[in-house]
Parts: sequence; C-alpha cells; structure tokens
Amino acid sequence: MDDNQYAIQIHNVTKMYKLYKNDKQRFKAIFSSKVPYTKKVAINNVSFDIKKGETVALFGRNGAGKSTILKMITGVAFPTKGDIVVNGRVSALLELTAGFDLEFTGRENIYLRGQLLGLQNDEIKKIEPEIVEFADIGVYMDQPVRTYSSGMKARLGFAINVNINPEILIVDEALSVGDKAFRVKCTDKIHELVADRGVTFLFVTHSTRTAIDFCDRGIVMKSGKMLFDGDIQEAADYYDGMVQKEIDEKKKKKAAEKLFNQEAEKPKEK
Amino acid sequence: MHTTLDILKQHVEYRGQLFKLAKSDLLKTYRGAALGWAWAVVKPAITIFVFWFAFSVGLRHGHSIDGYPFFLWLIAGMGPWFYMKDMIQDGANSIRKNKHLVTKMKFPIATIPTFISISKFAVHLVLMLIIIAIFIGAGHAPDIYYLQLPFYMLCMFLFFTIWGLFAGMLSCISKDFLNLVKSVVQALFWLSGIIYDARTISIVWIKTILLFNPVTYIANGYRNVFIDKIWFWQAGKENLYFLIVLIVMYILAIWAYRKLRKDIPDVL
Repeated sequence: MDDNQYAIQIHNVTKMYKLYKNDKQRFKAIFSSKVPYTKKVAINNVSFDIKKGETVALFGRNGAGKSTILKMITGVAFPTKGDIVVNGRVSALLELTAGFDLEFTGRENIYLRGQLLGLQNDEIKKIEPEIVEFADIGVYMDQPVRTYSSGMKARLGFAINVNINPEILIVDEALSVGDKAFRVKCTDKIHELVADRGVTFLFVTHSTRTAIDFCDRGIVMKSGKMLFDGDIQEAADYYDGMVQKEIDEKKKKKAAEKLFNQEAEKPKEK
Repeated sequence: MHTTLDILKQHVEYRGQLFKLAKSDLLKTYRGAALGWAWAVVKPAITIFVFWFAFSVGLRHGHSIDGYPFFLWLIAGMGPWFYMKDMIQDGANSIRKNKHLVTKMKFPIATIPTFISISKFAVHLVLMLIIIAIFIGAGHAPDIYYLQLPFYMLCMFLFFTIWGLFAGMLSCISKDFLNLVKSVVQALFWLSGIIYDARTISIVWIKTILLFNPVTYIANGYRNVFIDKIWFWQAGKENLYFLIVLIVMYILAIWAYRKLRKDIPDVL
C-alpha cells in the first residue's frame, strides 16, 4: 500500500528516561557508565498510524505519556527504541508557549516564529493581520510576551500555529485555558483547516468533551501503554470509565484502610 | 565525520534563520537599556580605561612597546578579548538560555552556539572599527598587515563557536559546569598574553603553557596586525599550538554532541 497516505507512522516506539539521583550524578554519567540510575519507561512499545486528514485525540491522565508522544512526533524528543515517520510540515503548540521568546513582543514573536519555519518576511506580513485578529489580545500584541497571562499566550500560540499553513497540527492542552468564545473560534478554525486543506490534527487533553468537538478518533493511554484506539465517542466513554474506576478503587482502598485501622485500634482501647 | 557533516548540513539549511536569530539576540541584549546600543562600546571602553589607568598611572609600567604607546598596545590585544569573554560565558550558556528552541520546536540545537557567536561577532566588528579609527587617529595608517586580520578573526570565531557547542551541551546537563566556566574566565584572562607580552617570558615551560592558551594566540595575532607587523607564518610554534588546541576542542565538541544530543531535550 502507498505509505504516503499516512501523516504519522509510529512503530514499536519505546521511550525510556534515565533518572539520576541529582544533576551531579547525571554529569558524572557522561564520563562513566557505572553511575547508577533508575529507568522510567514513559512510552512502552506503542504503535499506531495516523492517516492524512485524520483528527485524533490522545487521552490519558498525567504521566500517561501523551506529551512525550507529541514531543517525539514534533521532533523535539527522540525515541529510545522504534521508529517514527512523519510526512508533512508539523506545527506544534507544546505546553502553551509554542517556543515564544519571552523578551519579545507578540508581534515580534510572530515574525521570529515565521522565520524559524522558513517563511519570508513578506509572507509573514501577509498572514500577520489574520494572526492578530485571531489572537484578539488587543494592545498586548506589542507588549513583551513575559507580561502575558497563560490565556493570552495560548491564544497567540494557537493563532500563529493555525495560520502558518500547517500540514500536521499538534496541540497540547492549550485549549483548556481559553474561554468558551475562543474555544468556539478554535473549533471552527480547526474544522476549516481539516475540511478545506486536509490538515492532520492531533490533540492532547483531559477533557473528553472538548475532544469530541474536534476529533473523529480517540486513543487512550495509561502509564505509557496504549489501551484503546478507535471511534472518538467510544474512546471518550472508555477513558471516562477508566478514570471513574480508578477513583472508585481509590475510594474503596481508602475506606478499607480506614476500616482496617479502626479494627487495629479496637483491641488497644480495651 | 558523519556528525560533522550533519552539523554542517544543519547550518546550511538554517543559514537564513541563523542570521535572524543572531539579530534578535543582539536586540535582546541591548534593547531596554537607556543607552541601548552604546553599551556595546561603553562597557569595553570602561574596561580598557581601567586597565590603562592601573598600568600607566597607578603602576607606572605603561611604557611604550615597540615604539607604540602602551595604550595602543593594550587596545590591540584587548579588542578581541570582549568577544572571547562573551563567548566563553554566553557560549556555555547558549543552549540553556534558548531552551524554547530545544523543547518547544524542532530546531537543530548545534546551530544555537553559532548564532550567539554571530551576534557577539557583530559587536566585535564595531569595536574593531573603532580601534582601527583610533590607530589611524594616532598616525598609524592601515597597511598590508591588516590583510591577515580576517584570518585571525576566522580563527577566533571558529574556536569559540566550537567551544560554545561543547560547553553549551555540557552546561545543559550540569549547572555546576556553567558556574565553573564563569569562574575560570578571569583566570584565562590573566594567564593569557593580553596584559603582558607572553612571548617575552623567560621561563620556557610557563611561556609554552601560556602560548597554548587560545586567548593568547588571538591576542598575539591581533598585535601581529597592529603592533608587531609580522605575518602569521612568522609567529612560529604558536600556530601549531593553536591548531592542536582547536582540534582537541573540535573532538570534544563532536563527542559531547553525539553523546548528549538526544538527552538534552529530556533534561532541559
């Protein structure tokens, strides 16, 4: 089959972090392989393919490995084992800030970001009004990004990333900070990008409701493993069920512990 | 060899971006200060004045050297120091300081020290123009020896950019390393031939050690141009020493890059 129908192919990817006791140990480890470390497997043998034009949501609790996967697809982090093949220009909004230089104003960051992606100044000038309009942060556009609230950063980051003609759009959590009106705007824009330009969209979130607005397919992850891959509604139900089960289990455990403690204390009272 | 080619390829691919990033690094350094761009010149001017005052007026050691007033001898050697000092420190801090390029987008991190170096080098060029103007004002017109100024500039740029890659990678892993570098800068200055002429030291082994210091090689090189009026091939063993240090630095940088490239996004 033609490989080019895929935007992203992930084959048996494992990502392992080496955790050292402190930075001194880590520094020593550069020169000697005998320094002890603990292995933390963030991604455990995960494989999936995403076709061009697909909209996929990644669900998972903190530490499930969603962000690590996105980072590897973006090309920021590297897998320990396995292969990742990406076809197309990736535009990624990782952890809100999207690689802003905090000392520069929003407008300067538009140019900087555009230049880093290889756009010419006149090309950026053309899309600048669109970005300014979309971000809708008013006079803050000409203030240093360090003065921005997290909501403003997310708006600007999102505005830049969707307007530089991405082929693969990756968004990590960013939409959770915007207000309702902005979310609606984002939804419309993403639907437009997906419908008109065939953009592949990959989205990480805790909120199943937001994901259903955006995506057709859902992947559920837990402790670095992929548990479910399929229709967004089923994935959302699966994820909500999983979280609920975990909460119930915790409650039960707590209750059991309480009971156990009470039982243990009783003989003492006598 | 493969790694070197990779790094070079990244530089070619990102050449446009590198100059833009160098420009924005310059903007960031000097904007927001009341004197703005003047700082690029004021800081070195104050340092040079202090040294001139201490040696000429204070210690009364500032006699003329080779027929040149001590002041001219001093600025010929100190001119490149400000670039070197900036690169030793900020080069080591370059990748850490530009974390957003490492952890938030796909960007070839080996090029980060390079654009920092370009930015510092632009300031260096301005400073050198002023120094040349001072020499002309003092009645020493540019001559044929100025032709080798680009050669020494290239040597300096090459060495300290490679240093920036090596030290920048290590500093990401350990902040201690960065602090070590910062505290060694002063030592490197006083153990180089900037304030005194390292070539005239009579104890041979000390002289040899000083000549292995690349800071000495560059300062001597700039003095070859402005004061001593000799060609670099007449400088003898100094060239060999510098070449050795340059190659060692290059090997270290490549080793650090290969070892740490994939870890750095995880630890920053």
